[in-house]
Amino acid sequence: MHPEILLMILGMTLVTILPRVLPAVFIEKMSFGPRTEKFLRLVPYTAMAAMIFPGFLTVDASRMDIGLVGALVAGALAWKKCPVMVCVLGAIGADLLLYLVF
Amino acid sequence: MTSTQTKKQQYLAGLRSGLPVITGFFPVGIAYALLARQAGMSPVETVLMSATVLAGSSQIMAAGMILQGAGITAIILATFVLNLRHLIMSTCVMRHFSGEPAGLRLLSSFGVVDESFAVFCMEPEENRTLFRFLGLISAVYLAWVSAAAVGVLSAGILPQTLLDSMGIAIYALFIAILLPSLRQNRRLALLALLTAICNSLFSRLLPASWALIAATLLCAALGTAFVDLQTDGQKEESADAP
Repeated sequence: MHPEILLMILGMTLVTILPRVLPAVFIEKMSFGPRTEKFLRLVPYTAMAAMIFPGFLTVDASRMDIGLVGALVAGALAWKKCPVMVCVLGAIGADLLLYLVF
Repeated sequence: MTSTQTKKQQYLAGLRSGLPVITGFFPVGIAYALLARQAGMSPVETVLMSATVLAGSSQIMAAGMILQGAGITAIILATFVLNLRHLIMSTCVMRHFSGEPAGLRLLSSFGVVDESFAVFCMEPEENRTLFRFLGLISAVYLAWVSAAAVGVLSAGILPQTLLDSMGIAIYALFIAILLPSLRQNRRLALLALLTAICNSLFSRLLPASWALIAATLLCAALGTAFVDLQTDGQKEESADAP
């Protein structure tokens, strides 16, 4: 055990918990108007779009085809209304094949 | 919000909804553990960090910064900035839990991460219950901590090609839960596209963590002007009706 590593872990824990816990503490005291309510309902969609793009292209920094093909396979399976798990495993399988063949 | 399921049924359903996340977590958790070991962290410290911080990208960043010789203060500050996005995500999750016991709410807020937020907020309104979220984050938490343990134990055993191919899993997860909603709502799809473009542009100007927050908030605000969540709203009204 290194004391400075433990201190770092403690500090990281505190600064990570803070933004997660604040809304749990104050949510009772907050009331949202219809427009804010709509804004909060849209945030999950925009957050997810931002988490996907452009990150997926650099899943392998040296090969853009890995990100592209994996995302396309996941997208195609999701379009066909496959369960989420199937989409995830399908994308992994496609990338595995791509790595093994090329 | 009324739900016909018992708390136990909701919890178990939440656990099940976490299964796809587990697949996505393993490669990230293992990659983190390998890097942390390389940075000189002991096996216990490596797993401990996963158990207390529970934030993949910042843990990988921390290990990388140690390797580059960065100081503790810089690492903690960078972690704070990187994880500020959880303030927004937690607000979106917690607004479903006002009226629930404060203790359970605090406990559940610890489990707000990108993936639990994404899975939970894409559930139909009537499924967004506290116990379902607790089930979901139990799966997420166990997966994340075991991934670090597997990473520590399996260094050099798991084939690198397999780990590399699993890197797409998190993105596949997000795509798979986002796409069905976009398919039903063209304006929402347009908003997602706009967000993707904004985030790509902002990423060139700002650090990625700030770009993500800016694109998410700006585009959600823009969306209030032109996106119609009417169908969703009607469902919510019927679910909330006495």
